Amino acid sequence: MVNEQKTIMQLLDDLAVQVLIVEPGDLSAVGELLEILELLLGHEGIHENQHFLAMVDALKKVFEGMIMGEYSDSQECFDGLIQSVTIMQEVERCDESNMSRFCGFLQAAGYEIDAQVFGVSSDGGDDSDGSDVDTRFLADPEMLTAFIEESAEHLAAIEDCVLELETNPTDEEMINSIFRSFHTIKGIAGCTDLDDIAHLAHTTENLLDEVRNGRHEMNSEAIDIALEVGDRIGKMVGVVKAVFEKGVDEYKKIEIDDLVTKVNHILTGDVEEKTLEEIVSDGGVEDEETLEEETGKLDLGQDGDIPDFLQDADLVAGFVSEAFEHLEAIEVNVLELEQAPDDIDIINNIFRPFHTVKGVSGFLNLTHINKLAHTTENLLDDVRNNKIAMNADIIDIVLGVGDFLRSMVQNISDMLEQGPDAYQFFDISEWVAKVVAVQAGQSLVDVGVPAGESQPSPVTPEKVVPEEKVSPEEKTSNTIKPQNEAPKPTPVASAIAAPKNVSSATPPARSRSRKAKISASIKVDVEKLDGLVNAVGELVIMQAMVRQNPLITSVSDPRINKDFSQLSRITTELQKTAMSMRMVPIRQTFQKMTRLVRDLSKKSGKTVDLVMEGEETEIDRNMVDSIYDPLVHMMRNSVDHGVQVSADREAVGKPGKGTVKLAAYHKGGNIIIEIHDDGQGLNTAKIKSKALERGLIAEGDHPSDHEINNMIFMPGFSTADQITDVSGRGVGMDVVKKGVEKLRGKVELISTPGEGTQFLMRLPLTLAIIDGIIVRVGQERYIIPTIAIQESMRPRKEQYKTVQGKGEILMARDMLIPVIRLYHVFGVEDGVEEITEGIVVVVENEGRQRALLVDELLGKQEVVIKSLGGYLTDIKGVAGGTILSDGRVGLILDLAGLISTSSDTGSPRVGYEDV
Amino acid sequence: MSDETTVQDEASGGLKDFAGKYLTFALGHEEYGIGILKVREIIGLMEITAVPQTPNFVKGVINLRGRVIPVLELRTKFGMSPQEYNDRTCIIVVEVNSASSTIQVGVLVDSVSEVLNILEEELEESPSFGTTQMDTDCILGMGKVKGEVKILLDVDHVVGTGLLEQLAEI
Repeated sequence: MVNEQKTIMQLLDDLAVQVLIVEPGDLSAVGELLEILELLLGHEGIHENQHFLAMVDALKKVFEGMIMGEYSDSQECFDGLIQSVTIMQEVERCDESNMSRFCGFLQAAGYEIDAQVFGVSSDGGDDSDGSDVDTRFLADPEMLTAFIEESAEHLAAIEDCVLELETNPTDEEMINSIFRSFHTIKGIAGCTDLDDIAHLAHTTENLLDEVRNGRHEMNSEAIDIALEVGDRIGKMVGVVKAVFEKGVDEYKKIEIDDLVTKVNHILTGDVEEKTLEEIVSDGGVEDEETLEEETGKLDLGQDGDIPDFLQDADLVAGFVSEAFEHLEAIEVNVLELEQAPDDIDIINNIFRPFHTVKGVSGFLNLTHINKLAHTTENLLDDVRNNKIAMNADIIDIVLGVGDFLRSMVQNISDMLEQGPDAYQFFDISEWVAKVVAVQAGQSLVDVGVPAGESQPSPVTPEKVVPEEKVSPEEKTSNTIKPQNEAPKPTPVASAIAAPKNVSSATPPARSRSRKAKISASIKVDVEKLDGLVNAVGELVIMQAMVRQNPLITSVSDPRINKDFSQLSRITTELQKTAMSMRMVPIRQTFQKMTRLVRDLSKKSGKTVDLVMEGEETEIDRNMVDSIYDPLVHMMRNSVDHGVQVSADREAVGKPGKGTVKLAAYHKGGNIIIEIHDDGQGLNTAKIKSKALERGLIAEGDHPSDHEINNMIFMPGFSTADQITDVSGRGVGMDVVKKGVEKLRGKVELISTPGEGTQFLMRLPLTLAIIDGIIVRVGQERYIIPTIAIQESMRPRKEQYKTVQGKGEILMARDMLIPVIRLYHVFGVEDGVEEITEGIVVVVENEGRQRALLVDELLGKQEVVIKSLGGYLTDIKGVAGGTILSDGRVGLILDLAGLISTSSDTGSPRVGYEDV
Repeated sequence: MSDETTVQDEASGGLKDFAGKYLTFALGHEEYGIGILKVREIIGLMEITAVPQTPNFVKGVINLRGRVIPVLELRTKFGMSPQEYNDRTCIIVVEVNSASSTIQVGVLVDSVSEVLNILEEELEESPSFGTTQMDTDCILGMGKVKGEVKILLDVDHVVGTGLLEQLAEI
């Protein structure tokens, strides 16, 4: 049996490959296809499965027709063939009847199916529905839950809209809205293997489409039927839900034929033949009608991704964001796979995202993405089933395909934002050819493990694995999900430790409890989240104000005190929770570095290991994007210039493989990101001579090595042509520093000659809160960011000097620091003018130091940053406002603006002259 | 609220577009009106934090239930002599359209009077005062109600674009 299976499987795989590479009009290739089919027909195992036999038969007739020139060959038709062959592969593997889908694909692609064969198929479909309970939909609990939830929403929406339509039958918006709802239900039902629901929804959708296009009137008949269909689907969803929750015993077959006939009747009643044809050919349900639309609408040579998918903007937008996630998961896993090419789990983790992308893109009519993903999926499937040995080519090609798909998805995303004009043509044929070549080139090497039913595959092909609404815990525990967040601090070590034996590594996923805990998570508008965080911030301040109210503080009732401390516990907890909602693990950012290091090390011919630690560390969502660029700069430096080539490393007794360590952790209310390479360290002497040359240090100076090394952060100091060749460091390090300072963070540098360089990025936990010193100037209070403050002091008379009677300078620790009188710059009337009676706060920004004269320091406080509202945004010297503990607004100083204002102009007062 | 009150949207639509309900307030001896749909709320005077390097009519910012919003003094804006604040002084919080969104701005006035329904026949074009110091752009028109004259303001113009331009000139 196993042998037979294997042979059929092999033939099918050959068939799949051949279908992929066959070109329209290439008759000899079609001939080869026929030969394979003959072989299949001649196989004795084939008679065990009637449906399969019928399919092969039908396919054979199609090919024969092709040779006779009965069909117009086009790529779209071949796409249909590819889909149908895929179904055949599945049928054999899962032993499920997919006859109607199969026929649907072929018909959609424009091939005639023998009526008799079709009859067999629909009989077969009924058989499986009638005799044994069709519970395929249970295979995927998460998807199913999502379906149940969403369909309820859509059904409610449909009902509302239909009733609305009754009073106002011409309201296009309503019709569109109903259409979309049915369309969505059809889509998810199709993905969830709920064929009946999908079919019914699809038929109704057709009717609505006619209405929408003005070919049918929205009369009472149509309204009635729409309501009836809504109710029926509701009932069917009810059954699905019951089965899902209580078990298969709850299963009830609900007939839909009567309604389908009714709908079709309305349609055919007054629509010309064309529509009738459509309906007949829609015998195959689920998503294949998209193919039909294609053949109808598309120019043959043109890309299939351009059609009016924009009408499904919501769905497509969902797809785009999901696809990005999947592609990221693919990349991460491929890189892991590179370290452990035999790990079947990782291959599965790559296979699944491709599969999902394929499924959803197919449903959305994005044929090119669909095809490329599908081809790659086939390749991976072969790898998974040990037909092809994993090798570097495959890894490269999968990475390449991932990148290519990403740019395609990006283009779709652009189109969603900017309209169809943003469309770009992507030629996938090159990639498809490459994938097929890799697949074909290696597929002859039979590794020997049969890939038939004896070995359950973890995922039923052709099923969309959902990605949404799963908590991280579930993701990691649930083996049937794409593990795009595999928590592996040292990917190398853990991946190597993974099992190599295929069959033992395959998880018994299917049988796993389908009543898996469905963790609830919702997507929330960032604006709402910010609103919540703001409100909570206010709550904390208000609570402090009430508590400090003299009337309250004078009360000595223990009850009040107890209640107050309880209240403050609750608010603190609330604040913590609210803040944590904006935090995301830094993992995603780190994972992008994996790819960067891989590419860089390949390019520079070095072998570099990237070790990551603390990917769980959470960081404010708003910061994620901002830290990416500095991080890339630093990684590039570490790999390009820090780590030497193997020969040089071995010469000084280090292992040939360099290591770059990327770590993140919390420390003292900050997030520290550490990049550590074990290279040669900075060439301090070289930097020093450069600094001397540029006059940054005087001839007689003896700065410490640390000070010298920090000069690489000086703006303009570190362009590549200046010091690359020797010590290398510093391409755009000033950019890094600026980027980090913008986030109110700091970069530190520790270099040990011969042992390596370490960069420390110290970042605040969140952008919304700033640690500040409150200072008073006259009646006004200002907040100076603590991170910029170097020291504060009451200056002595002898420290204060003037230059030409105007410029003011303070001498502190052998440095000459220009003085900025805050009261002067900000036009405060009653500030302290005598410098020895005030306090100076020495601040540093972008390497420039200034001494700010203030009246006194009031204290240190964490404050929530708020914009000054609307158009008061670009005020130089003011970064924003905050609510102080007494409820008044305090201004946060923007040191960069303050320093540039006071140095750019002759007079420090740059106030606004009266209107 | 009738559609008529979307007064400030288009200045070109003729006077009849401006009929509707107005919140009226006093500045010195003059009575002004702001389209009611633009008014968000009226709050008493509260402590205002001065913001440096802004035009002199920007009094500063206040804390409106956790939001920081700017406050403009209309007297200064219109070149009238300042007056001591008293217990009738209040801040009208208006919503104005900026390029991307609506923003809230406080407008400091001497006192708030009432909400008036100004009919089409009570409206009149704003008179021209020649090219003298007057900026009549921010006036929608004049309303004559019971023998009194109400100067109807285009709030977007008064606090919105006008201010933005002036800030840009700094």
